[in-house]
Amino acid sequence: MSIKIAVIEFPASNCDLDALHVLNNVLNVEASLVWHNQFKEKDYDGAVLPGGFSFGDYLRAGIIAAHSPAIDEARIMLKDGRPIIGICNGFQILTEAQFLPGALLRNESLKFICKWVNLRIENNKTAFTNRMKIGDIIDIPIAHGEGRYFTDKLKELVDNDQIVFRYIDEKGIAASDANPNGSMDNIAGVCNLEGNCLGLMPHPERASESILSPKGTTHGKLIFESMIDFIKRRRK
Amino acid sequence: MPKVQTNGNELNVGLTDKEIEQIKDELKRDPSITEWGMFDVMLSEHCSYKSSRPKLKLFEDAEKNYDYVLAGPGQDAGVIDIGDNYALAFRIESHNHPSAIEPYHGAATGIGGIIRDILCMGARPIALLDPLRFGPLKNNPHSQWLFKYVVKGIADYGNCTGIPTIGGEVEFDKSFESNCLVNVACIGLGTIEDFNHAPSRAYNPRDYIILMGGSTGRDGIHGVTFASRTLTEMSEADRPAVQIGDPFTKKLIIEATLEAIKTGHIRGLKDLGGGGLSCALSELTGDGGTGASVDMGKIFIREPGMNSFEVMLSESQERMAFIVKPEGLEEVLNVFRKFEMAHAVIGRTDDTKILKVYDGNNLVVNLPANALSDPPTIPRKEKRPDFLDDLLSQKTPKALRKLDDIIYELIASENICSKEWIYRQYDHEVGIRSVLKCGEGDSGVLRVIGTNKFISSSVGTNSKHCFLDPYNGSKGGIVEICGNVIANGAKPKAMVNCCNFGNPEIPESFWYFSESVKGMADFCREMRIPIVGGNVSFYNEDEVAKTVIKPTPVIMIVGIIEGEENIITLPFKDVGNDVLLIGDTQAELGGSEYHSIIYDMEGGTPPKVNEKKIKLIWDFLFELYEKNLVKSNHDVNKGGFIITIAEMCFKNNIGANLDLSSFKEEGLKDDELLFSESTGRFVIETSKLDYDTIMDLSRKFKISVKRIGTTQMEPLIHLKGLKTTNFTLNLKKMKQLYDSTIPNLMDK
Repeated sequence: MSIKIAVIEFPASNCDLDALHVLNNVLNVEASLVWHNQFKEKDYDGAVLPGGFSFGDYLRAGIIAAHSPAIDEARIMLKDGRPIIGICNGFQILTEAQFLPGALLRNESLKFICKWVNLRIENNKTAFTNRMKIGDIIDIPIAHGEGRYFTDKLKELVDNDQIVFRYIDEKGIAASDANPNGSMDNIAGVCNLEGNCLGLMPHPERASESILSPKGTTHGKLIFESMIDFIKRRRK
Repeated sequence: MPKVQTNGNELNVGLTDKEIEQIKDELKRDPSITEWGMFDVMLSEHCSYKSSRPKLKLFEDAEKNYDYVLAGPGQDAGVIDIGDNYALAFRIESHNHPSAIEPYHGAATGIGGIIRDILCMGARPIALLDPLRFGPLKNNPHSQWLFKYVVKGIADYGNCTGIPTIGGEVEFDKSFESNCLVNVACIGLGTIEDFNHAPSRAYNPRDYIILMGGSTGRDGIHGVTFASRTLTEMSEADRPAVQIGDPFTKKLIIEATLEAIKTGHIRGLKDLGGGGLSCALSELTGDGGTGASVDMGKIFIREPGMNSFEVMLSESQERMAFIVKPEGLEEVLNVFRKFEMAHAVIGRTDDTKILKVYDGNNLVVNLPANALSDPPTIPRKEKRPDFLDDLLSQKTPKALRKLDDIIYELIASENICSKEWIYRQYDHEVGIRSVLKCGEGDSGVLRVIGTNKFISSSVGTNSKHCFLDPYNGSKGGIVEICGNVIANGAKPKAMVNCCNFGNPEIPESFWYFSESVKGMADFCREMRIPIVGGNVSFYNEDEVAKTVIKPTPVIMIVGIIEGEENIITLPFKDVGNDVLLIGDTQAELGGSEYHSIIYDMEGGTPPKVNEKKIKLIWDFLFELYEKNLVKSNHDVNKGGFIITIAEMCFKNNIGANLDLSSFKEEGLKDDELLFSESTGRFVIETSKLDYDTIMDLSRKFKISVKRIGTTQMEPLIHLKGLKTTNFTLNLKKMKQLYDSTIPNLMDK
């Protein structure tokens, strides 16, 4: 049976077609674009909340989408143990929906930033990092104006192993000049306690084909491959 | 400003007395106040091109002369067939006046407008490019304010709509201090069928007219007439004429429009931009040979109490008009409902050739549809400015400083330094097509997913050269922008331009425009490059400061690369390779950055363009590409070839050992050799093993190719063989200067 993944399209999602392309044409699974209020969790093995500016980022990035019926469906999906990944604006939606801890604030520079960064894998037990090793470095781009991760429960996150990615420099150190947006503790991505919900600011769908990568890498693909492996293992 | 009167109402209009008489004669009555307003807008320079049209006739008919051109000038965008059943739509436009008054919304709505133009052709917008011009930033808070908010306006709008900004150009010059130039370009991709479904005409009677998108408000009334005047002290009071953008709605309009086109029920499509409903309805029906009857009461308005004058002239953003087959109405409306986009059926087309607008039972507009869409032209006087002879005869002063100090100063100058501060704020990767990203090549390169084709595009011009010699300068602009796409391996396929000039009523300003158009027309005819569209922005003058912008005919080129392996990039790849300079270097320092930065002078002898030689250089390069002989390529422009070489060194920290003694017989002074901006030159990196093959080919093509050095591990540029001195440049220092200029000015 083929693996079915929903790419949930909110008004003004704009990385939806990009994620769809990578899932369908690079990972060869059966992904479909689903308009947010038509999403039914029972039809899918997992879901992607793509990047973009859902509802124009009005009020606060991700907050309006967090009240879409799609979020109620997503809650059921997560409870059932199926994986959901939120990329960039998708991450903002997941924190606003309180599926993930913390919040994403305006970048420290107050400017939108589009560039390639290095991430270090901090937890490889999640549904999205099982293909990697702790300490692995991946090459991936960011593009956001509100990506400064903040939490008032940092110690809890560390204790529960919920920090999945940190921004690091080329030597692998989470230094302050490797931190593009002022995120607390260089955090680039976090997961829920169960490890089946991941939010990250960088864009794995932009780093899944070597032609798009300045260094010719395809590290973003590992995240989707891990997700697919996780789905396959769940089925056994 | 003349006044017109109807039924006791009085209106200031930008029409000439002659135009007012002509309108009354044709209608055989006094127009209503709403009709006067519509004439005022439609006959404004911005909508009617009344001054420029006689000159633009010099451009050859692209649709007739090039079989792959699907839509040429006069349409919302130019469209070319790129093979594999794909059509590429592109256009460039100015949003100068609004941005000079309100930079954030001025720039943002400029992006909004150009996106709609592309969408009108049935294509998905896939890339933006923005040529910008401001006064120098240093010690100039006003220029810094304009620059900061124009960039932010572009970023916020482009990023939200999910269209990557893949390229652009920035120039800082005193002449743009109060009239900044904000030009915006967009590229769209669609299938040939999508394009066929989206003419910007209403050819059939009895079709429905749907207005979709944002509501109609009082913002932007008379935006185009504002853009058809010079800036004065009163312009601040024009700020309400600047529209407010809403990229969220725009994103939904893009998706809803593309989905509506896919239904196959759309028969015509037009965006509401300058001139609002007046412009859109009269162009749809006037150019389509039909008429229409519109019920104003159906138009959803933002605030109560708007009269027909305001509704017809509003330039509220984010609106599209659709012409829909009667049998497809429900299906199209369902698409708009899905996206929760406001929409209304506002009327139907008919065969009367008359545009009628009802406000309740009152007929408020009753005009022949083509009275508005086919306005008369005005012949303008032209005169070569007297000051030019003095400027052209200026001589370069004796060098005051050491050459290495001059080079460090050039690389740190605002026009030459890195523009990373800008492009980091633009999402240049969304859409996952960007193969060569900002800063990686001379052009932006996009893949066409599902094919082996790549689109390369670049924008820009050289206003300093055009100021001294608009005919050659305009040609030189095309040479440079074609050079950008060629350096990345692309064949230039088509061009659009955005002509930014002063007041056409002043003969000297109009002379610049006229010479520039002549230059572009001559060059493109000779080089077989179709001009598939353009935009003219006049009145870029400040009456208070008595400044006119330098003539700025901005060029946009799109080219195609067949196959990933044929993409060439800018950075030096390896040590021990030859560094070759292709093309002639002449004593042409007029209008150079060297003159401007080191001596604060604008004159001298500017570069000339010889099409025949340029053609041979391009053919030669493609022959080298074919034989796989080029490892990296970068075209030479601002600052001369020494700057080109430094930029090639930066990325991989590879140095160069240069020996310029082979220039001995050209009789050039050292500064002429290093800093001339002679057109059509490239610096390429090649293997030493291929040197003889390359030189044989250069003789076959009869072009100048000089080996000027070798790439090296040491991160330095050594220069010898000059007449006066040998010296060494430190790459680390150069890069630090190159990278820090704009951040130091803007972030500290």
